[in-house]
Amino acid sequence: MGTDIPLFHYVVLSGILFAIGGIGFMVRRNVLFSLLSIEILLNAVNLSLVAFNRLRPQNHTGHILTFFVIAAEAAEVAVGLAIVISLYRLKRTVRVDEADLLRN
Amino acid sequence: MESLLSHFPANNFSLLGVILAFPLLGAFVNGIWGKRLGKEGVRLMALSAIGVSFIASVVSFLSLKTLAGHGGGEHAEHVKLKWTVWSWMHTTQNDTTTIPIDVTFSVDALSGVMMLVITGVGFLIHLYATSYMEKDPAYWRFFSYLNLFVFSMLTLVMGDNLPILFVGWEGVGLCSYLLIGFWYKDNANASAGKKAFIANRIGDFGLICGMFLLAHYCGALDWDGLSANASKLVTPGAYAGNKDYWDIGVWPLAHSRYEGTLGFLQPGTSKLFEYLHLAKVDPAHPIPITLTILPATAIGLALLLGCTGKSAQIPLYVWLPDAMAGPTPVSALIHAATMVTAGIYLCCRMWFIFALSPFVMVLIAFIGVTTALLAASIALVQNDIKKVLAYSTVSQLGFMFVGVGVGAFTAGFFHVLTHAFFKACLFLGAGSVIHAMHARIHDGDASQDMRNMGGLKKYMPVTYWTFLAATLAIIGLPGTSGFFSKDEILFRAFSSHTVHPLATQAAAIHAWQAPEWTGKVIYGLGVIAALMTAFYMVRLFLLTFHGDFRGWKIGEGNKASAHADTHADDHHDNLQTPGAAPHESPWQMTLPLIILGTLALFAGFLNPGFHIFEHPPLEHWLDPVFDMKHVFSGVKPQVEAHSASLEWMTAIGGVGAFVVGSGLAYWVYALQGGAPAKSLATAMPRLHRILLNKWYVDEAYNATAIEAVDALADTSANVIDPWIVDGILAKLTSFLTSAAGTLLRAFQNGVMHLYAALIVVGIAVCGWFFVMPHAHATFEIKGNSAIVTAAPGPGYRYRWVEAGGKERPFTERPATDIPLEAGASKDITLEVTNAFGHPWFIAKKVVRVSRPANTDLKVGQK
Repeated sequence: MGTDIPLFHYVVLSGILFAIGGIGFMVRRNVLFSLLSIEILLNAVNLSLVAFNRLRPQNHTGHILTFFVIAAEAAEVAVGLAIVISLYRLKRTVRVDEADLLRN
Repeated sequence: MESLLSHFPANNFSLLGVILAFPLLGAFVNGIWGKRLGKEGVRLMALSAIGVSFIASVVSFLSLKTLAGHGGGEHAEHVKLKWTVWSWMHTTQNDTTTIPIDVTFSVDALSGVMMLVITGVGFLIHLYATSYMEKDPAYWRFFSYLNLFVFSMLTLVMGDNLPILFVGWEGVGLCSYLLIGFWYKDNANASAGKKAFIANRIGDFGLICGMFLLAHYCGALDWDGLSANASKLVTPGAYAGNKDYWDIGVWPLAHSRYEGTLGFLQPGTSKLFEYLHLAKVDPAHPIPITLTILPATAIGLALLLGCTGKSAQIPLYVWLPDAMAGPTPVSALIHAATMVTAGIYLCCRMWFIFALSPFVMVLIAFIGVTTALLAASIALVQNDIKKVLAYSTVSQLGFMFVGVGVGAFTAGFFHVLTHAFFKACLFLGAGSVIHAMHARIHDGDASQDMRNMGGLKKYMPVTYWTFLAATLAIIGLPGTSGFFSKDEILFRAFSSHTVHPLATQAAAIHAWQAPEWTGKVIYGLGVIAALMTAFYMVRLFLLTFHGDFRGWKIGEGNKASAHADTHADDHHDNLQTPGAAPHESPWQMTLPLIILGTLALFAGFLNPGFHIFEHPPLEHWLDPVFDMKHVFSGVKPQVEAHSASLEWMTAIGGVGAFVVGSGLAYWVYALQGGAPAKSLATAMPRLHRILLNKWYVDEAYNATAIEAVDALADTSANVIDPWIVDGILAKLTSFLTSAAGTLLRAFQNGVMHLYAALIVVGIAVCGWFFVMPHAHATFEIKGNSAIVTAAPGPGYRYRWVEAGGKERPFTERPATDIPLEAGASKDITLEVTNAFGHPWFIAKKVVRVSRPANTDLKVGQK
């Protein structure tokens, strides 16, 4: 661990990624970009989990939780893309603000 | 009977269940299947139910007599047949003594007689009603109610404790309401029923209060328990173990709470109270300032209110005359023979409570005699035959109250008995007359108006002779039942004055004793009432049965159309063309008349005065019930042994009233044809109007109590409901809710980006809170040092910086010791950082630790 990058850098990187994901999710109207943003958010979390786990080398809770998150991401993308496709078939659009079938 | 008693032991005499169950069964069957049973079936069910009940009553009564005979000797023992059905509930006195309330029925000498009267007279009236109500379409409903009434009344008299009595008490009130408003399509009948119910409810309030007070002060609710504990009501410290609180404080002058503040009331006021003796003025205080009332008096007053409601006495008598809106058999059974005597029954049953309060006793007697006078004076001028009898009933009930109030419980109860016979006979006779009149007039009111009657002797001989017998009894022809019972009451009123049964024993009792003259005054007023009774009854009799029939002028078709649309529910609907002569009633109606008439004449020999018998049967029979020695040991009887000569002397008043009253009425109505009455009415129009309008009592009640309730209702409806309920409660709440909804709806706009933004904001706030370190510490003094402990957190590390001390690195140890001398205090700064360890994330807090001077063990918090 002699030339380790300090924890603080990881956390800052993770925060930057999280901010990119969050802003992207909020700003972009395209559903595909929303999904991509969610991926970035989740990966920011994954990064911080792995980084924090370095402080506790004797257990692997952070690593395991990361795998769970990756599995959830995969499932989410599978379902999410299916929804996007059916939305496109229905409305001929992938814009979030036009997907308001349940409104009112 | 011996063998019966071996099958049914006296303490588990389940035969009483038969007496009670059959009327209830009859009510149930007729109420549920009555319409399908048809009139024959309904009649059979109703009559057999009461008949079986009557037979079982007779058997029970004979068993009781056999049982009482076992004791032997001059005075029979107080025996009772008892049947406990189930344990209902229980309450406690002062959270210590358990008061069981069981569904228990019992029959002793007193309730045995009542039971016989209820089922016996009840059967006769049921028989009568089978014919009287023949044409009524709601025949089944009538008999269902009537059977239910008999069941309730039996529950009332056979209940072995006050709550069971109360169940019956309410049951008869309900049946009375249902039967007064039996022809409910006429609004007047329905409102008469409501009036009766409400007046009775006011009385019931008193009865309930009395029950609560008895449970609190006596610690019992069953008859045996009450009589055993009655003397507690006047014994200091008998309850709650507190000698100072043995009487009930009268608001607002109660007990010592107001001590000192009421000094301005002294001493004149206390002298007034002392004079009235309503209150015990506490002699222990140098300045007596508490106004209190004996528990016995408070309970007596509460029970008395209940009795005046049920037994139609001042101030609650107004419902009974209106109750005549019901069918006549109902008037005979409920409003003359049985239900209205429930108040007197309660007085007799709880005599040992009333006897402890001479004030209440005298009040009962005066209420009774005033009611007797008032009602008799109204009856003088009424023209409706049932109204006269109704006021007569109120008046006779007043006589019973006099008997009870002067301590002659046997005499009062004897009048209940004779009155049941002669007044039932009178009402049934009147019903027979109305039945005959209705056959020709077809108008409810006109066929009850005595001005349309007259000369009915010719057409209805049986009714005539039985009515004569009952009239002679009520006006007190010597030898008839009414003579003996009424004269007994008047004589007892004259010869006795109420004396506190425990006056010689408990010197501490500051109870009021009635002055000597009260008995004489009550006697005098009673004689006047008796005179009026003789007058109005003979007037009624002559107007109805003698002279010429005045009904020919009415009923020649002019009422037929009115009848058709107003009395669609009425009987005789098949006779649209009137004109038939009045006729005698069928045997179902005349047989009860004959039996009751005979009883009215001869029942007096059950308990004649004047030493005709060595032991008058009824008095001998009831002796154990009203035995003062049985309840209050070592007390001499309240009514002292009397001389026969005094009895003869007081009888002169009663006989004189009979002679003068009936003679006057005979002269006015038989010899002069009513002319003197008319001229008297024109000579004194104001008095006549007052009597005709019943002393304007209804109007007075309307103007005061009912107006007040109406005003309260109006206020509620016009102010409280629209402004407070609708305004503040409803409108304000709905405004707040909808405003909050409008506000929150703005966030639910369906734009996913907004939701995401809000989530981010929320996470940011929570994250900030969790990431930033928080410094918080507690300390405790142990020995010579203070141990300061910091609150834990995720990844926290701590260091302690003393003023002027050197800076140490952060450690994971959350506690530190700081040496401290006694009485000293010191500031120490806690610095906390989180896992980042960056100077951005350092929280600081100054903790002041101090140690008390005189102790070295102190737990504190900062």
